[in-house]
Order: sequence, then structure tokens, then C-alpha cells
Amino acid sequence: MAQQLAMVIDAAKCIDCKACVAACKVANDVPEDQFRNWIKPTQDVPAPGVLTARAKFQPGACMHCDNPTCVDACPTGATYKDPETGEVVIDDDLCIGCGNCIPACPYHARFRNAAKRKADKCNYCPERRAAGLPPACVDTCPTKARVFGDVNDPESEAGRLYRKNKGRLTRVAARTDTKPNMFYVGDPGDPTWGGEAVVPASMVAMKEAAPLVKGVVALSGLGVLAMLGRQFLAGNDSKEDRDG
Amino acid sequence: MAKMHKRHDKSDILIHWFNAVCWVLLLLTGVGLIQNPAIDPFGSGYPEAMRSLVGGGGNLLAIHEGIGLVWIAGFILYLIVNFRGARFFLAEVFSVSPARDMGWMLKKMVLMTLGPKPLKAMGMDPELPAQGFYNMGQKAFAQVSVAGGVVIAVTGVIMYLSDRTFGAEATGWVSWSIALHFIAVGLVFAGLLVHIYMAAISPEERPGFKSMFTGAVPDDYAKHHHRLWWEKAETEGEQPTE
Ligand code: HEM
Repeated sequence: MAQQLAMVIDAAKCIDCKACVAACKVANDVPEDQFRNWIKPTQDVPAPGVLTARAKFQPGACMHCDNPTCVDACPTGATYKDPETGEVVIDDDLCIGCGNCIPACPYHARFRNAAKRKADKCNYCPERRAAGLPPACVDTCPTKARVFGDVNDPESEAGRLYRKNKGRLTRVAARTDTKPNMFYVGDPGDPTWGGEAVVPASMVAMKEAAPLVKGVVALSGLGVLAMLGRQFLAGNDSKEDRDG
Repeated sequence: MAKMHKRHDKSDILIHWFNAVCWVLLLLTGVGLIQNPAIDPFGSGYPEAMRSLVGGGGNLLAIHEGIGLVWIAGFILYLIVNFRGARFFLAEVFSVSPARDMGWMLKKMVLMTLGPKPLKAMGMDPELPAQGFYNMGQKAFAQVSVAGGVVIAVTGVIMYLSDRTFGAEATGWVSWSIALHFIAVGLVFAGLLVHIYMAAISPEERPGFKSMFTGAVPDDYAKHHHRLWWEKAETEGEQPTE
């Protein structure tokens, strides 16, 4: 089975310290006011002295979905699901920052990087992984709430955690089911905040125009074939070029 | 030697073939940049093949952008060198006389595909109405390629600037540019198939094809294919060409 790089997150361990958010910004040089990852606070924000409220925190980022609606919104394949690792990748050289993929993510995991002017999101820190290190957010987490690895590999830490908790894993639900690869052990608070994958009207127009454009080209091609056919079958019976 | 009529200036011939070469290269690279199952014109492995040929999608994009900018620069240069010719060309191709030209277009389409018999059977005269410097078919294609070319160039520049100067608030412009670029190329390409057939393959237009190299057509050809232009040349002397 091919790999599926994913995160298995023990939400019960998260203490909302935001170290993962800071580490990610530093490791990936993310511009001011932009973030590749987050910790969602829950509805019950604990207050001192009140024992009814129980703190729940939900760390998150791009979920490298099995049904990536962002990929469907990209006209050039600059963002694609890597069949070998299961990652949803952005090819920075090919992306021109048209922005189509950004509203197509129901988790708002994508943004247009203000410095690079291209789509940006969590990429599991490929430079760090190449050096044998885990992604920055995982490495820095003081409680080890974030576990990263190939969930299809039963030997990996993520795979073991995934298998052990299979029956009680939670995923964030969205109005568009993208089959996210981010799994929560323990109660992550509200798991239903995901929105709808919105494909911009311009991309819808392009998709709908495509068969029409092909039809016009095909019609024109048939016309040329008909003219060629006539040229060879009937010969050239126009004598108009000669006077008299 | 048979009498000849000057039809194209050297700069016209140069810009035409420069444009044709750019178009072929831009089509080959541009089609390889579309990789979405819902749009991919061939739905085949073409984009993948093209990308691996040049060492990645980023390289293909850079090549396409480079040729596109050269293409635009070529036209700007042409306009500087032969603005008069460009004006003559635009005036010719956008002046349509509806009754005469629509009749020509309909009859020509029947003649080219089915021959004169259906027209005769319908009680119509298969003789084509006289045409000017360009016939209606040439005008129609020229109109599509001029309008399409402007859309393609403008949207191309917008896309080029997207990740160089534009902010996030401009992505609507960029995204619509992608859609319009694609549609405009598709429509011009549809016309181009007929253009290449008529200009380079159809035996009747052989003198016209040669004129795109030599610049001139024989008197006979001018008289029978572009009667109104020929008459003008006969009565007023040589006209300025496109
Ligand atoms: C690649 C093969 C091509 C061939 C063999 C070809 C051939 C020709 C010839 C022979 C003419 C002169 C017609 C005349 O004045 O009697 C012509 C004119 C013209 N060509 Fe092309 N051409 C080619 C590609 C293109 C492309 C790619 C475009 C633009 C997208 C284009 C646009 C035009 C226009 C606008 C004219 C003037 C109007 C007309 O004659 O239709 N051509 N071409």
C-alpha cells in the first residue's frame, strides 16, 4: 500500500501553548499575519475557579485529504496529491497564485502567501524531513500531542496510534466531504466546523466552456476534413482562375 | 512576365510568419500547462509528457511565458515599423458589407464541402459575389484572430504579473484571465484549422500562399478572387497594401 503521510493528534494532550504555530512560522518563513497551522479553542473557554468548563483544544493544518477539492480547483496541476506519499503538494514553480484553490478548501488551510504571491499551506516541512527531522510543529510540541507519520505503516508511531485508536478517531467534518487525513484521539471539541468547498465562478466557467470549445474545434476540424474529402474525390473543378 | 499586384509588404510577411511560429510554439507549450481532468483538451498524458520533456511544469511555464512576451514584443515592433499597414489591414478586415459578404460566406461553405450542385438544385447561382482585398472567410478569421489575440495578450500579461506584482485582492482578475485565455485560444484555433487548409492546402489559393512569401499575386488571381480590389487597382493604380 502506498504511503499516507498524516497527523494523528491527541487533543487531550494539547495545552494551547501555540508553540507549534510559532515553530511553523519560523521554519517556513511564513509572512506576518499568515499561518499554516492553528489551534482552535473550543466553545467552553475555561475561566479561573469555574470547574464546569473543561478545556479542549484542537490543533490543525492542511489535512492532505483523500478527496482534495483544492486540487480540483487548480487549472494546471500546480497543486496535486502525490500518489506515493499521499501529500497534497504545491509546485511553487508552476503556481502563479491565481487563488482558485483557496476558497476550495473547506478548512481554510490555504492562503496566498503575501511574499511569494502563491498558494501556501502546510507541507509537512519537506526540508526538515530530508534532514531526518520531524515537521517543526511536531518537533516542538512539548506534550507530543501532534504525531506525524505514515498511517499506512503499522510500524510507524503514527500508524501504531492510528491502529490502536481506530474505532474512536475523530476527523473534522465539513459540508463538503474531503476525507481529511488528520485524525484526533481524545475529544478535540467541535469537529463539525468545516465549511463548504467553493470553486470560483471563473474556474466553473472554464470547466463548462471546455466541452463547448472542444465542440467548436471539432466542428472546424470536420469542415476541413469535408473540404479535403471533396478536394481528393471531386478534384478541383473551379476554373475561375483562367480567363475566358 | 504576367502582371503582378503587390499584396503584402515585407514587414507584413515577416509578422505573419513570426506570428505563425509563435502560435505553434505557444500552443504546444500552453496545452501542456492545462492539467485538470475537467479541462485538459486531450485528456491524455500530453501535459505530463511535455513537462518531463523540459524538466518540469515550472520550466514549461517559464518557456511559455518567455515566448508569449516575445510574441507581444514582435507585434509592438511591427506596429512601430508599419503602423500604416496595420491600419489598412484592420480597416479592411473589419469592413463587412452584410448582404454581399454573408451570401459569399454561405455559398463558399457549400461550394467547398458539397460543390456547386446543391446550390443549383436550390435555384441559386453558384457564382460568388465579388470580394475586396480580403474575402469574407479571410475577414472572419482575421477578426477572430485580432480580437482573440488582444484578449490572449492582455490576459497573458495579467497572469504573468500575478505572482510578480499582484496582491491577493487581484486573484479574481487572474482567475478570470485563465478562463478567457483558454476560451480565446480555443476559438482562434478552431478558425486556424480552416485558415491553414484554405491558405496552404487548398489548390485554388496557391497564388495567395505564394504571396505570403513573395508579396505579390498574379493579375488573373486578383481579378477572380479579389475582384473589388483588382478593379480599384485597375482604375486608381496600385493601392497601399496591408
Ligand atoms: C501555420 C500555418 C499558416 C499558414 C500556412 C498561413 C498562411 C497564410 C497565407 C498564405 C496568408 C495570405 C492570404 C492572402 O493574403 O491571400 C495568410 C494570411 C493571414 N494569416 Fe496565416 N497562415 C498560418 C498561420 C497563421 C496563424 C497562426 C495566424 C493567427 C493566429 C494567421 C493569421 C493570418 C491572418 C489574420 C491573415 C490575413 C487574413 C487572411 O488572409 O485570412 N495565420 N496566412
